[in-house]
Order: sequence, then C-alpha cells, then structure tokens
Amino acid sequence: MLSVQNISKRYRHTESLRGISLEIPERSITGIIGPNGAGKSTLLRIIAGFENSDTGKVLHRGTPLSSFSQKKVLFSYMPEQLDIYPEYRVADFVDFIHKSTGHIDDDLLSVLHLPTVSDKRIGQLSKGYRQRLKLFFALCNRKQVVILDEPFDGFDPIQLIEIRDLLKKENEQGRDFIISIHQLHDAEKICSYYVLLDEGQVVAEGDMSALRRRFGNDSASLEELFIRALR
Amino acid sequence: MTPYVTLVVKELADIFSSRTALLMAIIISFVFGYSFYSAVSLYANASTAAVDNPLYAAGFEPVPGVFVPTFGGLFIIFSFFLPFLFIPLISTERRNNTLTILMQLPYSLGGILTVKTLAAAAYLLFIFLLSLPSLVLWKLWGGHIPAVELLLVVGEYFCYGLLIIAISLFASALFTSTASASILAIAIVIASWLIDFGREMNIAPLLVSLSEWSVTKNLKSFEEGLLAIRTVMYLISLTSAFFAAAYFLLRFDLKNRWQPLTVVLVVSLIAVIGVSRIDLSYDLSESNRNSFPPKIVQYLQKIPSLDIDIYLERTDSRFKDYEKSFLKKLLMVKPDTRVVMASGEALKQNYGRFVYRIDDKADTTYSNSDEEIFQVIFKLSGISHEESMTEKEYPGYPLVTSVSQQNSIIYLYFALLPLLIAGVFTITRMSKRGKLR
Repeated sequence: MLSVQNISKRYRHTESLRGISLEIPERSITGIIGPNGAGKSTLLRIIAGFENSDTGKVLHRGTPLSSFSQKKVLFSYMPEQLDIYPEYRVADFVDFIHKSTGHIDDDLLSVLHLPTVSDKRIGQLSKGYRQRLKLFFALCNRKQVVILDEPFDGFDPIQLIEIRDLLKKENEQGRDFIISIHQLHDAEKICSYYVLLDEGQVVAEGDMSALRRRFGNDSASLEELFIRALR
Repeated sequence: MTPYVTLVVKELADIFSSRTALLMAIIISFVFGYSFYSAVSLYANASTAAVDNPLYAAGFEPVPGVFVPTFGGLFIIFSFFLPFLFIPLISTERRNNTLTILMQLPYSLGGILTVKTLAAAAYLLFIFLLSLPSLVLWKLWGGHIPAVELLLVVGEYFCYGLLIIAISLFASALFTSTASASILAIAIVIASWLIDFGREMNIAPLLVSLSEWSVTKNLKSFEEGLLAIRTVMYLISLTSAFFAAAYFLLRFDLKNRWQPLTVVLVVSLIAVIGVSRIDLSYDLSESNRNSFPPKIVQYLQKIPSLDIDIYLERTDSRFKDYEKSFLKKLLMVKPDTRVVMASGEALKQNYGRFVYRIDDKADTTYSNSDEEIFQVIFKLSGISHEESMTEKEYPGYPLVTSVSQQNSIIYLYFALLPLLIAGVFTITRMSKRGKLR
C-alpha cells in the first residue's frame, strides 16, 4: 500500500496542497480527480519525487520514501507536459531507452502501434501517437507503480479503448497505477479507486461503492458523485 | 554498451547534429580563415626585410605573430555564440520535461551534467581541429611551429570554452527559457569585459583591483607564453563553482537550495583568495620573452629587497610598456618586490619618474628601458654590470609567403572546409534513420 501523509505545498501566493493524506491500495488503478488547479499534478510530482513537499511524507508498505533514488526504483512517472525529443525519430528514441535500460518490450511496442511510425520524427507525430510514445516510456521500464498525468488526452475513441485495455491488462499482471484524469466517463471505466481533490484537499476517496455510500446514492455515476462532493 | 556510453552517444549526436553546431562550425571556419590570412600577410610583409638581417629576424616569433591572432577570433565566437549551443543542452530538457525521462533511466543528475559537459568539450576539441589545416599549411611553407607555446594558446581557449560551458549550464539551470539563459550567460562575460575597460580607463580604484580577477586579463598570460599556476587554478575554481551551482540549482529533490549554493559561494571565494597567493609562473615562450636573460636573473636574485615608486598613471602608455617589458619579468624573479603607484600631489609633481630603493639607497630615472633600469639597480646594489648580460640568443623565424600561398587559405577556409562540414553534417543527419521490429 502507498500512503501519503499530511502533504502540503505552497508556491509563493498559492497553497497548492493542504495537508493531504490518503491511502492508495495495491493492485489498484487509482484515479486522481479534480477541477483545474485542484493540485492533481503537484501531488503526482511529489509522489514521483520530482518535487518536494513543504510538509509530510510518502510511504510504501510503511517505509518512508525520503530520497529520489528510493522513489526512482519504485515509480515510473509520465508528466502531462512532456515533449519527447521532437528531432528524434521514434526508432532512435526507443533504441535509446532500450540501450539505457538493457531491455525492450516488443509486445508493448506492437500494442501501442509504434512500429508503424518508427522512422517518423517525434515532432511530426499526431498527438495520439506522441501520447502512445509517452505511455511506452512509462510502461517499458517494468516499475511497480506507474504514475500517469492526464494520459488519455489526444486519443480518439478507438485508441482510448485500446489504451484502457492495455492499462487494465498491466494492472491485472500486478502493476499499480495512479492516474490524474479529467474525463470522468473514462475514469469510471478504468479506475478501481478514486481520490477526489478540490483546492488542494481530499474531499472524498474510495472505490465506487464507498463513494456512493458516502453520498447516499446507490446508482450515482462518478460525474454525479463528483458534483456532489464539490458542493 | 553500458548506459552511460549510450548517454554519451546521445549527447554527442544531439550537439553534432544540431543546426546551431553546423552554423557555428562554418562561422568558425570563416573566422579562422580570415584571421590566419591577415596574420600570414602581415607576417610575410614584415619578414621581407628580416630574412637577411639576423638582428631584425630575432623579433619574428610565429606564435605571437601568426597563431595568437589566428586563434584570437575564437574569443568573440566563444563569448557570444557558444552559449546558444550549450544552453539548450539543459534548458530544452527542462522545458520539454525530458529531464524527467533521463532521471528515470539509470542516470543520476551529476552523471547527466558530466556527460553533457563532456559532449560540449568534445565540440570544443572539434573547433580546434579546424585550426589544423592552418598549421599544416604553415609547416608546408617552411614555417616554424613552437609546439609547447602553441599548445598554451590552445589551452587558453580550451579553458575559456570550458568556463563558457559552465556559465551556460549555470544560466540554463536558472532559466528554462533559452533566450533568458543566453542573455544571462553573455551578461556574465560582458561583466568581465567591463572590469577590463574600467581598469584600462582607470575609472575607479575598485575596478582596478577587481581587474586582477578579470577572466580576459588572466587568459592573456597564456598568449604571452606564460603558464601562471595562479591563472590555471583560478579558472578551475571559477569553472567548478559554476558547475556546482548549476548542479544544486537543478536538484529538484532539495528542499532548500540556498544552503548548498551558499557553501559553493563561500568555498569558491576561499579558493579564489587562496589561489591568488600562488606566485608560480613558467615562461614557456620559445624566445623566453617573459624572462630576463639568465645572467640578469642570477644578479637580481642576489639583491636582498627592492622597492619601486612609480609616478605614472596606469593608463599612460609608458607605464603599460614598462609593466609588460620590465615589471612582469621582475616580479617573476623577485615576487617580493614592493611596487607603489603614486597618487595625488606627489604624482603631479614627479610625473614620469621611477624611483628604485635598495635598503636605504635610492635612485631615480625617467627611462623604462631594461638597459637603463639595470644600470640604476646594479649601481644601487653595488653589483658590476656587464654589457653582455642583456643579450638574447633567439634567432627568430621570419617567413615570406607568396600571394598564391596566401590565397590558398581563402580557398581552404572559405570554400573547402565549410563544404566539407556541411557534407558531413548532412550525412550524419540522414543516417539517423531507424526501424523498429
């Protein structure tokens, strides 16, 4: 289990996170949901180790992860704003990752349809393919917890189904996912656990049944629960 | 292939396949060509009268005469162009967030910065390769190349290039915008020039004392054939300080960056003050132009202490000549010599005088020629002065080159080399074509 305890973060005049504590179950696909500016990306960066919190800590199975090197072993992180070397050809980038890590996942490449664009420069790819390449990087290193910041942006409906299936399959094989997500409809289809954030605070967390119990509506959709939570 | 070799290959490819690198290499070819052509023409014209006159020929030294001006163009190129090549190495990675990719691979931040620095240093070496044809031509024409002295000049620009790399990394660690980082890097370089300007113009005493730390002034000693350990250590301290500051600025996992940055600043200041006390120089010029003849050195070392009062403005050309031809050489032999620059009313009343004191005896001269100064000093110390003591035995290497030989420089550096560079660049970029299974 991954625990976040009393995380706060302040940027000059803005308090981005206000003492957030949450428990993320193992073998889950956890959706971090919230309006713009809720602190989703900041929280993910802090969990992944790419930003420091002012207070609080992140623990994995009770062990505090205090250094970046500890987090690096455990987490794979895909930031939302990631512009992978636009001058590189896809094959060159994959080759660099392959040679750096010492292994390559051909099946993953095929599932993401990357061989079809292998000799194209990354800067010339469509947004969907650039997202696929980012996902390839996040998934290829076989780390236990995969943290994805807005991974579904830029996919058409068919691609979205493929990617959802891919993440579910990876999750069934034992990997944990923490995903920041805007689209509530998609979140409901893929996530098994939800953390609802607003103004830097957790307003609700749990699986669908727990959220429904909390807001007293057994048949409510995630969208309805989200709106109630924010009121 | 180990992961770090992969990273080195990536960084080398990133630098050498960039359009900025291509453009800069072509510009450097033009600058080298123009500077070498001008220097060779002047040297050849002046040499005409010297080839049959050994006394006149002794003044012809290939390094200060030809190679210092040839490499001189690099100073502007390094100062104003290199930051635009090196800053994107970090700022682009930060702006595009690809630094997060590298950090998740088996690379540490220190390792990434080291590899990027090595790749940038490799580009510097490539720049120096562009000077090789000029050396080959010079040798083919029968010219003389003093290897050690020339290496000192190359070393000067390599050290300066490394400093520019460090400043560029520092600037790109502060700003993700390439434009802002470039402006900062260039501003740091210009600040050093302003100190030089302040010293030359004698604007303020503070600027005059600061000028001891001017990078340009310190680098000049290399061009003069002087390997000053103080200068080398100073450049190492300065370069290391910028690298260390860049490293701590980029450490996103530090809660408080100011602490390590303060430590870097304090350690650098201590290092800089420490190296200023090192008075160890080696005259590596082939003609020993930075040293007095050996006999003079022996006699000067016998003098217990020497004080000099100088009644000249620092900006006065006589003082500059005196400083270059006598004072620097004297301080190499007798670093404990006390030199006082007069000021105020005393300066006005005694303007132009040099007063030498040994123990309780003093003598005055208006001359800044070695011969006359030695007569004064040796008379004060009671040592008999022989005429032969100031003779030097450097033959000099005048070289007359024909117009067609000089024109070959133009063809080489303005056409052949740029075409070759562009060709290699195009092939390199075309060959980066991969396929996935």
